[in-house]
Amino acid sequence: MCLWDRTPERRRATAWPTAATAAAADEHGRLERGTLHRGVSGVDQGPVPMSADDLAGLKDPMAAVFFQQGQWPMTLEDVLDGLTRADALPVQCVYMISEAGQITPDEAPGLRRDLRFAVTRAAPGADPDLLVSSDPDSAFLQVAAWDPAAQVFNYYMRISPTWVWTGNSWSALAPESRGKGCFDSHVNGSVVMKELRQPWSNWQSMAATIQLPPDDPLRDNPLYQRVIGAERLELTVKGLVSRWTTARLAAVVDDGMVRHPDHLLRQLFTTTTVNLASTSTQSTTVGPDSGDLVLPLGFWLNADALINDLGLPVSAETVPAAPASLYADSLAAFGFRLQERASDFSRQGDTFFAFVIPEAAHEDNDVVRQLVAQGLVPARFAACALMVDFTNPVFSPARSHLMTYVPTEPVPASAWCTDIAAAIVAAAATLPADSPEGEFARNWSLPEARWRSVFAERVDAYLEKAAARIRTTSGFRDCTRLAESRRRAFQAMKLNEFELTLPTTDIPADAPPLRMNEDGTVTAQTDGGSP
Amino acid sequence: MTTITAYGPPGRLTDMGDVGLKAWNVFIGDSVDQAIDGPDPSQVLHDSPRPQFYNLTKTETAPDAVEAAVTWTAFPNRLRSAVSDRQRWQRADASRDVQDEYCEWSVTRNDSGKITRVTFTCEGPEYWDVLAQTSPDKALELYRTHISPTVQRSDLFGPDGRYLRRNKWNDSTTQGAMHLIQQANTLGAEIELAAAATIRRVIGGRELTGAQELIACGKYGVAERNSDPHIGEVVNGIARQKADIALSDPVGLYFDDLATDGWRAPDGSDPKSFWIFHRGDADHPVRAVYEVPADRNFTVGDITINGRPIEFGAQIADFVTIKLTAVACRLGRSTAQPQTACAKPPARDEFTPGAFSPGALSSHGYLGTHPDQASRSTRLSS
Repeated sequence: MCLWDRTPERRRATAWPTAATAAAADEHGRLERGTLHRGVSGVDQGPVPMSADDLAGLKDPMAAVFFQQGQWPMTLEDVLDGLTRADALPVQCVYMISEAGQITPDEAPGLRRDLRFAVTRAAPGADPDLLVSSDPDSAFLQVAAWDPAAQVFNYYMRISPTWVWTGNSWSALAPESRGKGCFDSHVNGSVVMKELRQPWSNWQSMAATIQLPPDDPLRDNPLYQRVIGAERLELTVKGLVSRWTTARLAAVVDDGMVRHPDHLLRQLFTTTTVNLASTSTQSTTVGPDSGDLVLPLGFWLNADALINDLGLPVSAETVPAAPASLYADSLAAFGFRLQERASDFSRQGDTFFAFVIPEAAHEDNDVVRQLVAQGLVPARFAACALMVDFTNPVFSPARSHLMTYVPTEPVPASAWCTDIAAAIVAAAATLPADSPEGEFARNWSLPEARWRSVFAERVDAYLEKAAARIRTTSGFRDCTRLAESRRRAFQAMKLNEFELTLPTTDIPADAPPLRMNEDGTVTAQTDGGSP
Repeated sequence: MTTITAYGPPGRLTDMGDVGLKAWNVFIGDSVDQAIDGPDPSQVLHDSPRPQFYNLTKTETAPDAVEAAVTWTAFPNRLRSAVSDRQRWQRADASRDVQDEYCEWSVTRNDSGKITRVTFTCEGPEYWDVLAQTSPDKALELYRTHISPTVQRSDLFGPDGRYLRRNKWNDSTTQGAMHLIQQANTLGAEIELAAAATIRRVIGGRELTGAQELIACGKYGVAERNSDPHIGEVVNGIARQKADIALSDPVGLYFDDLATDGWRAPDGSDPKSFWIFHRGDADHPVRAVYEVPADRNFTVGDITINGRPIEFGAQIADFVTIKLTAVACRLGRSTAQPQTACAKPPARDEFTPGAFSPGALSSHGYLGTHPDQASRSTRLSS
């Protein structure tokens, strides 16, 4: 475990094993004050002073305003004030998040609130170039800053008494540092907001205000007084994800060749990361007499990619909804509760917004969207891949299996997808019809003029059956089990930092992973495609 | 400690003459007073009075006053259950009746169907009632300036001389949008919502704090909107600090911002530079137009949002935020007691909205709305 993971100046992650922070704190003493260090997890053994040439090569605003000027801001306020004094990035937006933000302090006085600020700074008329994550006491302080020359985000972390460059966007994709250090959450190199869609669970937003006692000293904090809703941050993060995707694609296609085709197509075939979605309904307001509960669309399929980006002409006009009574019954039936062991906190019920689930990540979809828009991947190829096991938009072993056919060496941009398709189709000839290869081959056999309508008909038929199934007790309970199965897959990722992000249930820990089928039934997960 | 002498017009607009300004002050003042009183308990229980809401012209604002802006997204939340973005954008662009977040818009296209201009308004209809009745020539002039030079007086006024909120130039998503017309998009409803939300609710020994539980209990709006539950939650949060609360002068709905993250113009110019306010002062804009100047060789439809061209006005509405501003003072000093039950009609009685009498305004030039618009304004209408 590297210093980055063990430092006491890392954000408290209640879902992770407790790190040996005391020993790490001793290592802080070896950091040289007044020197930018580099410490890329998986690459560097520990933070080491960055060379003068490397420092001079950093063109992001954090490096330019502070480190290259010999300035070492130690608090969030120091960073923001320093930018202001330098007349850099004057447009500031402040956001706030807390997984305990909807649990009133008088209800759980021993529960740590873990309030954090996210602050963006931008030039007038431009997307933000610098994002800061910290807490009101600056116990941790991290920065993502856009380098317009290198076309990457640089990531920095304050480890007292100095700062450490923890890598850039490319580090997220490099095998030695992928998934390590800060790239456990910046999985593909971009800035991240897990709860990216309305109601932006845990964030202060127009959907929910974080609860503070009337006399909480935070009310006097100038940054708190400027907090705006996370609905704005969603737009910012989506724009910044696209910025990095655009830069990345421009760099990996060179002279007609695609470098690291597997790095790109794993974002089509696999779940490199997820976003968290939920209903927009406060769980405690749901009672037997409430109206229908519209489950998150991302639970059913990857609609953003298939419908919004690839244009399947789906006829369904509404998202499947369940009678509220079934949801309310399920909370008791499965023993839903919120708990944080570190604080010895436990309370019956679901998360504040009902039915949180992992859904296909915006950053995965954005890569696919831009690959298609730039003509690097035919829309038909992307759709044929995503329609394999499409009822399981995340954590699909079937789709992931098709990565077997994606080369790792550079390939010609003109033919790489048709070559991959040909390899899968050839393999399908000797495999069962319900194999992932078989399903892809059937999809691929559709003529160019018909694939959209055929896929749309499948989606419509599926949504109709699913909508009927969740109106039954057994159908809704199956969906509850499936949602928990997917939540547990998320909990196995380092992206899962906080116990209170998700509910805990009585569903046995060794329950088999589940999958959704096209007839709306839920069964044990297999490696096959859609039955 | 101060009071204001009169409520000013929304956006500090300068259209009205003295009679109109007096009528406007009376309208807002009476609406606030009526909202403070709340509904008659014979019609609604546990929803009156609202002692933490106050009238800026009658009750002093204390030196500890702080302002709180409440902002929300203009795109109608109730359309978000669509399966695709295209579906929800089409639905939102199809009718002003679904644009219920205090923001309505109209889309202009060129011969090839590409968007050239989108006009947004958040002006309350009551202002136009007063303006049109007290300064009809000015109202006609404004329509000709902002909608079409071909607007005729007879287009705006009925045979009885009353102003038609829903006239041929302000009744669609294609012919123009002069002011709000969606049934729930009224300033009266804004005032009523804010006042009702000042009531603290302690139910079963627990004080309600969440946006949805508060609106379900207070019944001051529609839970599925962006605006109603959020306004209620913020206002109630201030009330829980035992403060007195008022809507800031000038009372109104205003554009907060247009975010343009991820937007790209074909020539690399700043996409936000095409967002121009046409009415209201700098702090209180009430009319905005998104349009590319004629000397550029592209239109709004050529601008992309995260790679997708703008094909619907609703795509822009996704990035528009609306706001209202409340003022809070005497923090920690209110002695108002919370209600211990939710608002509800009395047993065996049907809920009938209380009568709002515009007659009180007649001596000041406000001639009242149509009979079907004369009941207490609430956000509960569809």
